[in-house]
Amino acid sequence: MDAMRPIFIQIAQRIENDILSGALLEETQVPSTNEFAGFYRINPATAGKGVNLLVDAGILYKKRGIGMFVADGALARIRANRREQFRDEFVRPLLAEAAGLGISRAQLADMILSDTNKEEGVA
Amino acid sequence: MSTVIEVSGLSKRFGKVVALDNVSFSVGQNKICGLLGRNGAGKTTLMQLLTGQQFATSGTIEIFGRSPVETASVLERICFIKESQTYPEDFCVKHVFASAPWFFGGWDAGFADQLIDDFRIPTNRRVKKLSRGQLSAVGVVVGLASRAPLTFFDEPYLGLDAVARQTFYDRLLEDYAEHPRTVILSTHLIDEVSNLLEHVIVLDQGRVIIDGAADDVRSSATTVVGPRDAVDAFVGDRAALSRQGVGGLASVTIHALTSDERHAAGDAGLELSPVSLQQLIIHRTNSSSREFEQSA
Amino acid sequence: MTIDARATRPATTGALTRIVNVARLHLTQKGTLLVLPWLILGFIFLVNLLIWWILASALPPADRFDAEEGMQFSGASMFIFVYMLVVAVQAINATFPFALGYGVTRRDFYLGSSLTFVLLSLYYALGMTLLAELERATGGWGLGGAMFDVVFFDAGTPLQRFALFLLAFLFFFFVGAATAAVYVRWRSRGMLVFFAALALITVGLAWLATDTGSWPLIGGWFTENGALGVAIWSLVPSTAAAIAGLVLIRGATPRT
Repeated sequence: MDAMRPIFIQIAQRIENDILSGALLEETQVPSTNEFAGFYRINPATAGKGVNLLVDAGILYKKRGIGMFVADGALARIRANRREQFRDEFVRPLLAEAAGLGISRAQLADMILSDTNKEEGVA
Repeated sequence: MSTVIEVSGLSKRFGKVVALDNVSFSVGQNKICGLLGRNGAGKTTLMQLLTGQQFATSGTIEIFGRSPVETASVLERICFIKESQTYPEDFCVKHVFASAPWFFGGWDAGFADQLIDDFRIPTNRRVKKLSRGQLSAVGVVVGLASRAPLTFFDEPYLGLDAVARQTFYDRLLEDYAEHPRTVILSTHLIDEVSNLLEHVIVLDQGRVIIDGAADDVRSSATTVVGPRDAVDAFVGDRAALSRQGVGGLASVTIHALTSDERHAAGDAGLELSPVSLQQLIIHRTNSSSREFEQSA
Repeated sequence: MTIDARATRPATTGALTRIVNVARLHLTQKGTLLVLPWLILGFIFLVNLLIWWILASALPPADRFDAEEGMQFSGASMFIFVYMLVVAVQAINATFPFALGYGVTRRDFYLGSSLTFVLLSLYYALGMTLLAELERATGGWGLGGAMFDVVFFDAGTPLQRFALFLLAFLFFFFVGAATAAVYVRWRSRGMLVFFAALALITVGLAWLATDTGSWPLIGGWFTENGALGVAIWSLVPSTAAAIAGLVLIRGATPRT
């Protein structure tokens, strides 16, 4: 676990990643706070904070007496959020690194367009 | 949320040696609290005072609202596992696990048996004949199976190998999740337990130097790395917890940055790296001891 | 559901249960407390048996009578009484830090230890009484020997003898308890001071007795009261020691 961001934020992001990748489907139950805590080996209160973060963001919701579920439309919501952050998290560092190596923007664009890795489905 | 431990102005002297100096803090109910610091910082003394085993020189202690000294209604809800526990001469391991339930109302024998298996403790052996690791394991099992509302672990894993330690952390977390209680964990292996903690108290030379929520403490510092000039320019006159350098590179640890400040650092070509709880405490205890030297 | 964090209500286990649990803790050490003293006594007994046998086979009948009379004053079994002092010190010293670790108050620990000593006194007094009766019944183990049925313990009926043994054991146990409390509280330095003071006081009293010519008086008091009478009087110092021990141990801390 990298210590750059508070742990509860990292937990929230891991759960979001699982939703994005399809490991956790909408309207299915997610592990309990205690189970998360045990799995990531962190304090249950911290895990709870991360889960609450997602509840507040409308990604998860609580069914009384049963547990936590992935909200309807959570996938779309996460994608939208991540796109907002995409520029800061990936594009800016990419540009900075390229500049440091003397790669021009045109060369960078070329690299992107001619990359042989299969283009994943665009939503 | 109620407070389980309330300490105010607590001091303890052994002859001329000041072990604790005007310590004040409180611990909330059902939290896992780390009592951290270097060897000799006063952690064990503090726990001995909190459990009524030692008498304070001055100050007040309230556990569950009352002084713990000679108070049965408080002491029966406390379990204190220390690494230097002495056992009577003839005692075998099985005697320890047979007698513990008499004193801990919440004792779970099934859980104890499972733990004895996990740690591979030989029950028929004399306690005096156990290895250091097995002795620690006995303490750990008593501490966990007692389910005492307030449990102290004082460096409970001397002699336990990394696997056994991880088993302890895992069982502690599992059981704490099922049966919440207040746990005070004292250790100098800070990074191992960092993620288990909700509350952090750091002692140095008998004084409290850090007291706060673990999440806050963990994210309270950042290390800025890069070319010396750029780093210095960026850091400016912010308080530095530590400065290091080699050649033209510098690495300075400062207090946490806002996201704007982080962008600024990135733009300046500087790298930001996280500061672990252990590193933070090392920096803070080093700077506080330097302060002491200067003020002496 | 929050658990009530306040401890304003009294403890959930009653005081008597806690005290009994301390006694149970002590009595877990069956070997040291219940068996070892008998083994030591047994060994002394065997040695004495050997001596009696030698005397019985070596001496002509006339001299044997004198020898038997002499053995009435055997101090061999004195040892077991004094040994209880050691047992008390060991029991308290070894179990004190452990009991504190279990969250037992010093008061409950001392009371539980006291209960243990009373039970042990009953146990050993019973054993000694039986042995004395056996000795009488077998005419000194068939060899005219005397270890339990000696003149010091001649208190009359078996019941009186039992009372005598009981009181004697209680005395040594509680003096031991008080000594242990001194040690647990003040460690080696405390012991040094304690025994130095004890020696000084003893010498002082002895000198006083000699100076005022009171030895005959003292001797007379002993013969007047008899063994049982003296034993009953010993309840005074026993109780004083018990109380002193409790007061002292309340200020004791486990070895740092």
